[in-house]
Amino acid sequence: MTGGVWYWILFGMCAAWVIVTGIGVVALRNIVHSAVSMVLCFLGVAFVFVLLNAELLAVIQILLYVGAISVVVLFAIMLTEPQHGRLGLFFNSQSVFALPLVVAAAVVFTLVALSAKLPPTGSESFSPSVADLSQTLFNEYVFPFELVSLVLLAAMVGAILMARKEDDDR
Amino acid sequence: MKPVDAYLILAILLFCIGAYGVLARRNVILVVMSLELMLNAVNIALAAFADFLAVGSPAGTYFVLFVITLAAAEVTVGLAIVVANYRNRRSVQTDDYSDLKG
Amino acid sequence: MVETAPIEVSQAMKAVVSLIPLLPLAGFLVTLLFGKRFFGRRADVVALLTVTASWVLSMYVFVHVFGHRGEPLDFNLFTWVTAGSLSVHWGYLVDTLTAVMLLVVGTIGMLVHYYSVGYMKGDEGYYRFFAYLNLFMFSMFVLILANNYLVMFLAWEAVGLCSYLLIAFWFRKKSASQAGKKAFLVNRVGDFGFTLGIFLIFTAFGSLQFADVFARAGELTTATAVWICLLLFMGAVGKSAQFPLHVWLPDAMEGPTPVSALIHAATMVNAGVYMVARSYPLFVHAEPAMIVVMCVGAFTAIYAAVIALTQNDIKRVIAYSTISSLGFMFMALGAGVWVAGIFYLLAHGFFKGLLFLDSGSVIHAMSGEQDMRHMGGLRRRLPVTFWTMLIGAVAMAGIPPLAGFWAKDEILAGAFHEGYWWVWIVGLVTAFLTAVYMFRLIFMTFWGESRASQEVQAHIHESPWIMTVPLIILSVPAALSGLLAGWPPDAGWIHRFLEPVFFDIEGEPFEWFGIGGLLILVSVAVVVVGVYAAYLMYVKRRELPARLAERFPRAYRASFNKLYMDEFYEVGVIRPVIGLAGWLWTFFDTKVVDGAVNGLAWLWGVFGSALRPLQTGRAQNYALGVFAGLFVFVIVVLVWGG
Repeated sequence: MTGGVWYWILFGMCAAWVIVTGIGVVALRNIVHSAVSMVLCFLGVAFVFVLLNAELLAVIQILLYVGAISVVVLFAIMLTEPQHGRLGLFFNSQSVFALPLVVAAAVVFTLVALSAKLPPTGSESFSPSVADLSQTLFNEYVFPFELVSLVLLAAMVGAILMARKEDDDR
Repeated sequence: MKPVDAYLILAILLFCIGAYGVLARRNVILVVMSLELMLNAVNIALAAFADFLAVGSPAGTYFVLFVITLAAAEVTVGLAIVVANYRNRRSVQTDDYSDLKG
Repeated sequence: MVETAPIEVSQAMKAVVSLIPLLPLAGFLVTLLFGKRFFGRRADVVALLTVTASWVLSMYVFVHVFGHRGEPLDFNLFTWVTAGSLSVHWGYLVDTLTAVMLLVVGTIGMLVHYYSVGYMKGDEGYYRFFAYLNLFMFSMFVLILANNYLVMFLAWEAVGLCSYLLIAFWFRKKSASQAGKKAFLVNRVGDFGFTLGIFLIFTAFGSLQFADVFARAGELTTATAVWICLLLFMGAVGKSAQFPLHVWLPDAMEGPTPVSALIHAATMVNAGVYMVARSYPLFVHAEPAMIVVMCVGAFTAIYAAVIALTQNDIKRVIAYSTISSLGFMFMALGAGVWVAGIFYLLAHGFFKGLLFLDSGSVIHAMSGEQDMRHMGGLRRRLPVTFWTMLIGAVAMAGIPPLAGFWAKDEILAGAFHEGYWWVWIVGLVTAFLTAVYMFRLIFMTFWGESRASQEVQAHIHESPWIMTVPLIILSVPAALSGLLAGWPPDAGWIHRFLEPVFFDIEGEPFEWFGIGGLLILVSVAVVVVGVYAAYLMYVKRRELPARLAERFPRAYRASFNKLYMDEFYEVGVIRPVIGLAGWLWTFFDTKVVDGAVNGLAWLWGVFGSALRPLQTGRAQNYALGVFAGLFVFVIVVLVWGG
C-alpha cells in the first residue's frame, strides 16, 4: 500500500489501539484484565504488521503471540494466586522513579530516532511473496533456523522439568 | 517526518510503556507480560525498517521471525520458573523474591 | 703509576687463572650435593682433588709471574652488572702481590684440607666440612684475584659466610652457633664501613675497577682520599679482627682447629691486610688515614699480647697472638713499610697455621682437652708435634734466623726510621710479651709432669701421619721463609718481587754495623729476655705466676677477662639495641603499624556498610538502575557523541 490519506488514518487507528491496550496492560488492577488487554494489544500489532506489508509476520504474530503465548500466560495466572491489595499500583516506591524516568526516556529516544541519519528509503515498498521469503529462510538462514529449533527443544524440556510436581517417592 | 519515523515513535512509546510495567508493577507475571510488550515494540520497529529502507532483502522480516520464536520459548521457561517458585513461596509478589538481599 | 700497562692475556693463561677459584667451587657443589650419599666416608676425595689442583695451578701462576714481573695480568670474564653509569665486570688481576697471596692461600689451604682428613675423621658432618672448606677456598681465591672492588666485596662477604658456617660447624653446641653469629655480626659492622667506602670510590671515580681507580688516584682531594681510606679500613678492622672489632676471633675458636688454622690464621683474616695493601695507591694520598691504620694496628698488637699472657685455653692464646700479629701488619702498612708488612703476612701465614695445626694435634692427643693447666710433659710422648710446634713458636717469637724475626724486625726498623718512636717502643714491648706468652704456652704444654687425669694420659698418642705430614711440611717455610725471601734485609728477594706494586720507602741502605745492626741487637735481646722470663716462671720456679697474680690482682683480672671488651659491648651496645627493639615493638609496631592496617580494614567495613542498602535483592530495583543508566548513556551520546 502506498502512502495516502487512508493509509495514515488506518495507521493512526492502529497506533491508538496498540497504545491504549498497552497502557491497559500496565495500568489495570486485575491481572486477568491485564492479560486480556495484552491479547488485544497483540492483535493490534498484527494489524500494524499488515500495514507494513508484512503479511506473513502478521499471521505468525497471531498464531504465536495470540494463540500460544497468551495461553501460556493465562495458564500461569490461573496456577498462581495474586495477593490482593497489598501495594499501590501507582505511587509505590519504584513507580515514583520509574514513571518520570520512562516518560523522559520516551522523549529522549524519540529525539534520537528523529535525528538519526537512516539510509535512504526507497520509493517503492518492497513486498516479497511468502514463497520468496521461505526460499531465503531455508537457504541463507537455515543455520539460525536450526539453532532456534534447538532452543525451542531446550525450552520445552526445561519448562516441563521445572513446572512439574516433585514426586516424593522418587 | 518520514513515514518510517511514525512507526518508530509508535515502537518507542510501546517500549516505554512496557518498561514502566517491568519496573513498577509488583506481580511477576505482569512483569513478564510487560516484557512481551517491549518485545513487540521492537518487532514493530524491525518490520518498519524492513519495509521502508531500500535494502536488498527484507532481513528485518527474518529478524522478527526469530524474535517471536525466541520470545515464545522465553515466556514458556520464565513462567515455568514462576510457577515452580510460587509452589515454594506461595507468592508472586516481587517484593518477596529478595533472597539475595544484603 | 707504579705498574706498567697491562698486556693482552693469552687464552691459556686466562683459563688457568679462572680455574683456580672455579675448581673448588665445583668441589663444593659436588661434595655438598652428593657427598653424603655417594661418597660416604670418603666425601673428602673431590675436595682434596680440587684444592690440590688449585694449588698446582697457583704455583704455575706464581712461576709465570716470577718470570714476568712488570706485566700484571688484568682481564675480564664477563660483565656482571650494568646499571646506569656503573658497569662492573667479573675479572681477575694477577700481579706480584696476588702471586704472594696465591702462594700463601693455596699452600696452606691444601695442607689444611689434608690435615682435616685425620682431624675430622668420624664426624657426622664430614662431607659438609669439606664442602664448606672448598667453598671457602673459592671465595678466598676470588677475593685475592678480583680486579675490582665489587667482586672483591662479594668474595669478602662470601668468606665471612664460610667463616660463619665453619665456626658454627658443630651447630648443636650452643656456644658454637653463638660464636658463629658473633663473627658474622661483628664483621657486618666493619662491612658497613667498607660499603660506604666503595660508594665513595664510585662517586669519586665513576668506576670500581682497580685499573681505573688506581690510575687516577692522584685526582682526589686529600679529604676525600682520607675518607675513602678510613672507610675501607673499617672493613679491614672487622675482617682482620683489630680493636675494637676483634671480639669475634677468640670466640671463633669454637670451630674445629683446621678451621682456625686456615681461616683465622692464614687466610681470611689476612683479607683485610691484603685489601689495604691492594689499595696502596689510594692510601699513599691519604697520610692521616695511614697514621690511623698504624695506631690502630699498634694498639691492637700490644692489647692482644697483654691478654694472651693470662689465657689458659691453648687455642685462645694462639688466637690472641693472631690478633696481635695482624696488628703488627697494619702497623707496618700504616708506617709506610708496605713490603715488610706483606713479608710478615707471608711468614705469619706459615707459622701461625703451623701453630694452630699443632695445637689441634695436641688437643687430638689429649682427647679434646684444651686447657693448658691440664697438660704438661708432652714433649716425650708427642715428638713430631713438639718439634714442629717449637719451630712455630720460635718463628712467632721472632728469634733469628727463623721467619718471624726478619719480617718483624724490618717492621720495627721501618717504624723507627720513619720517626715513629713510640710505635717502635710499642712494637718492642709487644715482641717481648709475645716471646713470654708463646714460650709460656710451650713450657706449660710440653714440659714438666703431666697434669692430666689418668684416663687422658693413657690415651695420649702421636697423631696419624696424615696430620703430622702437613705439620712437617709447614715447618719448613715457617722456619726458612724469612731467610729465603727477606735476606739480605731491605734488599731481599721479596723486596724485588713486590717492587712493581709498592714504591717502598727509600730508607737508608741497611748497614750491619750502623743503626740497622743496633736495632737488630735490641730486638733480639728483648726476645731472649722474654723467653728466659717464661722459662723462669713456668719451668724453674712454678710458683711465680701465682705470686705475681696476687701482687697485681687487678692487672691480672683485667688481662684474664680480655680487658672487659665483651662486657662493654653487652652494656653499651647490645642492651640498648634490644631495648630499642622492644620499645619499637610495643609502641610502634602494635599501635602504629597494626593500627594502620586494622584501621584500613575498619574503613572498608564502613564503606561496605554504607553501600549495603543498595543490595535489596529485588531484581526490579536493579532493573531500574539498568534502565536509568541506559537513559543517561543515550543522553550522553546524543549530546556529545557522534
